[in-house]
Parts: sequence; C-alpha cells; structure tokens
Amino acid sequence: MTLRITGGRVYDPANGVAGEERDVCLSDGKVVDDVPAHAARIDARGMVVMPGGVDIHAHIAGPAVNAARRLAPEEHRADVHDRSAVLRSGTGGTVPSTFVTGYRYALLGYTTVVEAAAPPLAARHVLAELRDTPMIDAAFLVLLGNNVALFDLIRRDPARVRDAIAWWLEATGGYGVKLVNAGGVERWKRGRGDVTSLDDEVAGVTPRQVIEAIAGAVHELGLPHPVHVHCSNLGIAGNWRTTLDTLHTLDGRRAHLAHLQFHAYGGRPGGRLRSRAPELAEYLGAHPEFSADVGQVMFGPATTMTADAPVSERLRDVTGGKWVNADTEVETGCGIVPFTYREKNYVHALQWGIGLELFLLSRDPWRLVLSTDHPNGGSFLSYPRLIRLLMDRDFRNEQLRRANKRAIQRTVLLDDLDREYTLEEIAIVTRAGPARLLGLRDKGHLGAGADADVTIYDERADREEMFATPRYVIKAGRVVVRDGELVEALAGDLLRVEAPYDPAVDDVLRDRFEERYSVQFDSYPVREPWLLEPARRIAAGRPA
Amino acid sequence: MPSSERAGAARHRSATCGGCGLVCDDIRAVIGDDGGLERLIRTCPLGDAWFAQRAGPRPPAARVEGRETGIDQALDEAAATLARARAPLVYGLGQTSCEAQRAAVALAEAIGAVIDPAGPLLDGASGTAAQARGASTATLGEVRDRADIVVVWRADPVATHPRLLERLRLPAAGRALVVVDERRTATAAQADTFVELAAERDLEALSTLRAHVRGSPIVPGAGLEPLDDLAARLRAGRNVAILHHVRGHVEALALHALVRDLFGVTHAVALTLRHEANAAGAENVLAWQTGYPAAVGFATGHPRASGELTGAAVLARGDADAALVVGSDPLEHLPPPAAARLRAIPVVSVDARGTATADAAHVAFTTGAAGVHRPGVAHRLDGVPVPLRAVLSSSRPSDEEVLAAIAERVARTGEDAA
Repeated sequence: MTLRITGGRVYDPANGVAGEERDVCLSDGKVVDDVPAHAARIDARGMVVMPGGVDIHAHIAGPAVNAARRLAPEEHRADVHDRSAVLRSGTGGTVPSTFVTGYRYALLGYTTVVEAAAPPLAARHVLAELRDTPMIDAAFLVLLGNNVALFDLIRRDPARVRDAIAWWLEATGGYGVKLVNAGGVERWKRGRGDVTSLDDEVAGVTPRQVIEAIAGAVHELGLPHPVHVHCSNLGIAGNWRTTLDTLHTLDGRRAHLAHLQFHAYGGRPGGRLRSRAPELAEYLGAHPEFSADVGQVMFGPATTMTADAPVSERLRDVTGGKWVNADTEVETGCGIVPFTYREKNYVHALQWGIGLELFLLSRDPWRLVLSTDHPNGGSFLSYPRLIRLLMDRDFRNEQLRRANKRAIQRTVLLDDLDREYTLEEIAIVTRAGPARLLGLRDKGHLGAGADADVTIYDERADREEMFATPRYVIKAGRVVVRDGELVEALAGDLLRVEAPYDPAVDDVLRDRFEERYSVQFDSYPVREPWLLEPARRIAAGRPA
Repeated sequence: MPSSERAGAARHRSATCGGCGLVCDDIRAVIGDDGGLERLIRTCPLGDAWFAQRAGPRPPAARVEGRETGIDQALDEAAATLARARAPLVYGLGQTSCEAQRAAVALAEAIGAVIDPAGPLLDGASGTAAQARGASTATLGEVRDRADIVVVWRADPVATHPRLLERLRLPAAGRALVVVDERRTATAAQADTFVELAAERDLEALSTLRAHVRGSPIVPGAGLEPLDDLAARLRAGRNVAILHHVRGHVEALALHALVRDLFGVTHAVALTLRHEANAAGAENVLAWQTGYPAAVGFATGHPRASGELTGAAVLARGDADAALVVGSDPLEHLPPPAAARLRAIPVVSVDARGTATADAAHVAFTTGAAGVHRPGVAHRLDGVPVPLRAVLSSSRPSDEEVLAAIAERVARTGEDAA
C-alpha cells in the first residue's frame, strides 16, 4: 500500500523540518522518498503533518491497571463505547478498557505507548492486555528496583547483575528497566517504613547501591533506553533533595527521570510544599546525560496507581476513599487511589504550576518531554489541553487566575514567564523527543525508513481542539482515522529489547529462585508465542 | 545423547494442575509407552481427579442432542442456536484458560449476550465488595515469607486447596495459624488456635474485631469473647494474612474494612481462597475487555454491569432463551429455579470434561484441555499468571478454538442476513 500526503506543513524535528510545505510518501509501512504517481493521495493543504505521537510513560496494561479498572464502575457507566462493524465495545473514564485505550490513543494521533511499570512476575498478564490493546505499538518497562533476588546478587555477585537484568528482559519480553523508589518499597513491605535517605539499609543493600548497580548494568548492556527512574519520596515536601541526590548518584550515567513534577518539591518534610522546579530545570539543562518526562497534573479526575505502595498508603489517608494495595513477592508493591485534582486546592494547584514551570523553564525540549503519568496526573485524553496551556499564553494566564492564588504565587509563572511552545517544540515533546530517548530509531520522525506512523491535524487557532481531533492518523501505512473517525482497527507490535547474556546466569538465578518465588523457575519466562507476537526486536549495544 | 536417556527425559513432563485456585506448577506427569498419563508426581487428590477427568475416558468431541457428530456440524448448530437467541447467556469461564475466556467475551459481545463468570456464585462477593472500597492483597510468596499470623476465615483449605499449607510452609514455629469457622475442620486440626463462630455471625465478629483494631473495644456479643485475644494478636502481628471464603457482600465489605484498618497498625492482606483454577483470570479478562469484573450485558452494544445480570438471576427470571456454558457445570451448582430454566432452553456446552450440563446440552463440545492437551495461561487465586502446559496430545479442538469457530460462524450469519 502506497500513499502520498501532499501540501501539508510538515513538522519533523528529528530531520530539521519545521513547518515546510512538502510531501510525505509512505509505502509498505515505511516512510519512503517517493512513491509512483498513481499512489493514493491525502490532500493535506491547510493541515499540519507530524510523526505519530510517542508516549514515553503511561500505565495502560497489567495487574495494577486492571485493579484500577475494577475500582471505577461509576466512571465506566458514564463513558461507554459502542461496538461497531470494525471496533470492539468497551468503557472509558481515567482507566479505559483495553480496546478503548488503543482506540483513544489512535484518535489522539498517538501510535506508540510505553507501559512504564510491569511487575516481571505478571508479564503474561501485561502482555495479554497489550494483545487486546489495538492500534498502538507498545513496549513495557520491568520493575527491578525492589527485587530481593537482584539485591542478593548486588551484594554477593555484582558481576552477574548485568546478565541477570538481560535475563529478566528476555524472560518477560520487556523493553527497558524501571526503578521505583529503589529499596523503599521492599523496606515498607517489611514493616519498617519507607526510606527517607538513599543510604537507608534494606535487605543488606541501600537505595544508592541499587541505583548505582542497576544503572551501571543498564549502561553496560547498552539498552536503547537508559534506566527509567521514579525517585524516592514521591510527593513529599523537600523531595527535590532526594531527586538531586539520585542524579548525583547516577554520576554521569544516562538516566530518564519519570514524572519529574512529583519529585520537584521544596519545603520541610511534613510542612507545606514549595516549588523547586527552577532548580531542577536548571540542573537538567546543564546535564545532557539526563532526561525526564514531566508528569503534569491536570485539574479533574485521575487515578493514582504506582508500584510505590507507601505513597498510596499516604494518599489513602488523604482521600479516605477507595484504596487497593497488592504486594508482589520478591519484586514490588502496588497501590491505587482514585483522586481528583482541584484548582482551588493549594497542593494540587502548586503541583499543576510546578509541571508548567518545568515545561516553560526547560532549555531542551528533547530532554524534557510531555506526560501526565497517565492516569496518575490525569488521563492521556488531557494532552490536547496541556498542549494548549503550553502554546497559548492568554489561555494559560486565564487558567492561572482561576487556580489557588497562594500556590501560584509560590511559582515563577506570574513572573513574565510568557514563553509559548511552537508547533516544532510540541512535535519534539510529544514524538521526536520521546522516540529519541527511548532509542526507537524508526519512531518519532518522517525520514526515509521511519515507520509510516503519521498524524495530520487541521491547523486551528484553538490548539486544544486541533490536537484533540486529528483529521487523519496513519498507522503502519494504513489510514486508521479519517475525518476524526476510526475506520480500521489493527493490531500493533510489541517492541522488545534484544540484549544478549551469558546463559550461565540461568543456574545462578535458578538457585535463588525457587526459595524466593512461589512459581517454578521454568514457569517464569514467557514462551507463549501468542503473547509475544507480533514483536519487533530492538537490539541493545553500546552507542557508537 | 543415547536414545534411552532421551526416551526417559521425554516420559517426565512438567505440568500445571488446574484442580483448584492454587494452580500448582510443580507437577511432574509421567507418560506411559502408550502416550497416556501413567502417573502424576506431587499432585493432591483434587489434582489427581482434575487430570483424570480430562485425560481419562471422555464423551465424544462433539454431540448434538446427545448424539456424536462431526465438529463442523456441531459448530454450525451451536452458532445457529446462539445467533437465533434473543437474549443469550454466556456462563462459566472459571475452569478454562485466559485465552478461551478472551474468546468467550468476544463471542458474548458479538451475540449481545449477558456474560457471567461463575466465580462470584461459587466463591462469594469478595470481588464486588472490593470494587466498593478497594482491598489489600498479596501473592502467595509474600504470605509464605512474611505473614507471622495467618487467619483462615470460614474456609477449609485442607479439603479445598490441599497443598495450601504446604505451599505456605505452615504450620511453622513462630508463625500463628488461626482458624475461624463454625466447626472444627480439617484445617482447624492443623491450627494452633481454633475460634468457633456460628455461620451467621461473620458480620458481628468482623465488626467486633475491627472495633478492637481501631482501639475502641466494644462489648462483644455472647460467645465472641475469644475474639478479644485474636484482636490483640492481630494488632501485635508484624504481618497479617487473612485467607477466607466469605460469601455475602456485607461480610466481604466488613472483612476488607477490617484489613484496611489493620493496615494502620501493621501490614495486612486478604486473599479469597477461590475454588476454580482460573476464576481470577475470568474476572481479570472481563475487567480488561469491559471495565467490569463481574456479570456484564452486551444487549445495548456496549458493556453494562449490574447485579441483576448474574446468570442465576437472569435464568431465574426466565430472561435467557439460550445459554453458552464454558468450563463449568451449572446444573450442579445453580439454585434450583435457575437450573430448571437452564434445562428448558437450548444450551451449548464447551468443556474439557464430561459434565451433567454437557450431557443435557443441545450441543456439547468435549475439548482438548488447557493444562493437559493444550497450553494456556491461568491466573492463580492471588492473580499470578501461570502457564498451563500440554503434557498429552489430542486432536480435539481447544475451548478457545471452538469459541473462535462459533464466533466466526455467527459473524458469517450476520453478514448473510445483512
């Protein structure tokens, strides 16, 4: 199938194209230099053409997401999606059913999504949900920051850590490595409370040792995406010091910080939150080895879900409402609390403001990219509104005036922060940047050889409307959204890493396994082809 | 490798048992020279029965009105029966793989059916109660390695989950095992403490314990004095696990509320001791495909959940005019009015074992079993996904294949009609 998109203004920052009118040609699922004259055409005059969106950090599949779905019957009743000749039915809300998740990402112009927190023990569950999430290519990150079997290796056989991590990725079909409050969740599961410092002891190691060992191993393996870190002390006043301490500990190794907004707080522990966004934006700007996604909160309903179970216990005490806790042996915790961010609430408004500060003070959009940590800070459906907040100063100022005044006064947003993101910068923070940070060379750009994932928007002054309803979305060369309607459902690929390892690590792990897990070592690796296919392997290797 | 060794290795195969919600994955199946199952290592009596029902003599692969037919003919008849129905019911799911459950939900949607997993009827209201307020839970390995007080509430796992105590390494020095039940069960005989509690007093007892845990002791009702001591032990525990099989909605709410409040004092989790091997998978697949973990109706073109849509309720009201039963024997467990209605309407049964429901069905498929003849995935009672393995070969189609083939025929019927 071939297609020529003509006359649109193309934003392809990875290839230095910023709004030029040019054709984009697609053939056999790839971008090509040219197609024959008889190829089908899309007349994109008056439209903006970008690569398909890439979400670097969201929660869309697996036991935590599914437990959250089960908590939300009210949301689901209020937001239904009918079956059609090509589409399955489902329900929406902040945690949509799987089919609806895929459809709505496509309707938003997103074609690649990373599930950011998969317990390896539950890989089969994660994969089965992704199999039922159509339209998008998906990758997932495996949780390794509270794995006591790995702690044991870090302590006794550190030379094996690298092979063990590659083993875990191969066993699960994962793409990258996630640390969530390294050591803190395990310490909390032991009834000893959360960690407060990176030097607290847990199971014979410290968070600092875990971060060093795993970040180092990921670096040595040359994984396409560096270690993805959710720092300790999420949401706590003064946590920016922990964030900085984590970055110091990484000591020049590449790393991606998840939802930086939630880790950018000043103030005394136990006291009122303050913003430390300017300091962190400054630090990030000066350290090219680090990147982050923002984790913007948006006013309205959200569902907090995290492997950082102690955070959920604290949130539960704030809301007094629904709460799920689920401990996974050896590996992780999980907490879920439905939550609503309110503009008049000091803390919520400050969180909202800190996210905007990070965006507006960021020096390098390639390294500070867009997320709401869906659905923690808000649904992915709120991205268009967030884009408008970034692109439209008048709209932003109007929203600032509605938010809690004392909170907004604690930010620099009223101090002549009149920056407006350009379409090129939006293209960077929503596709080109995340793709580059993930090491997905075929994503996030429109050069020859890229995947034929393209989103075409009507150029509109209201950026929220523009980004909420793309005119066309093309996935793998097929037009899946036409005039804002889904016209075809298709299955995406699993994006998984290929990181070779010494098979001798099998025996090392087997010994540690059967004592610790309640499943057999031989049951653990996913081998079911229907869960793993269709997949694309992205090879690890030291960057040239 | 010498051929004798190869033959020897091939005769022992790793297997996973679907005999109860524990889904033990450490089973060895010894295969005889005839290719059949010679014996099993590490199974319990429930496991032996589970394998025997699937690996032993079974009804033919396809029957219509009790008479053996070809698969295709039976598929045509099943599809016609379901496509014709105005208000079909899809029921069961707890004893088949996640793959088949996924196909069952797709088929239910295609025919506008009500779909109800049997688990809530068999295992009580814990799942729907958790929807209301949430819950705290953990995997078996967490309970085994961390719980210093294990309370078995209104359940008798020695009978229903025979390897549970072994897998939790109980009884053990330094870890308390407490059983609360109306009579001294087989599990109680293994426990260090038995608290006798009449069947109808769960709510009262759970509320009393909760009040204790919150530090506001109330005067217990007559006969609940032993709960004073239990409350003190729960408070003093470092990690408490409550393994239960409470049935009613308010009782389940009270249990989750107790665990929630205990969490303010210590680490606490609860686990429902589900009977069917993949009851948890059925709820999970339904939840991810529809947003709801229990009975869902597709009559309006999208999922709609309601307590009034349970299979038992739909049948008792006479609202179902055909049923597809997957991996379940509802004639054995439905309340009499619902069972009577099920006997009166055309039923399509898809099950790897012979059942009373299949024998009475209009169309019955006796399939290749996930876990014996086919691979698949089951979610253990704690939600951990475990691989089911094929240890024997069979030319019979699997549940998943039968359901997909019916769906394909239903879709074709729809196209022809259009």
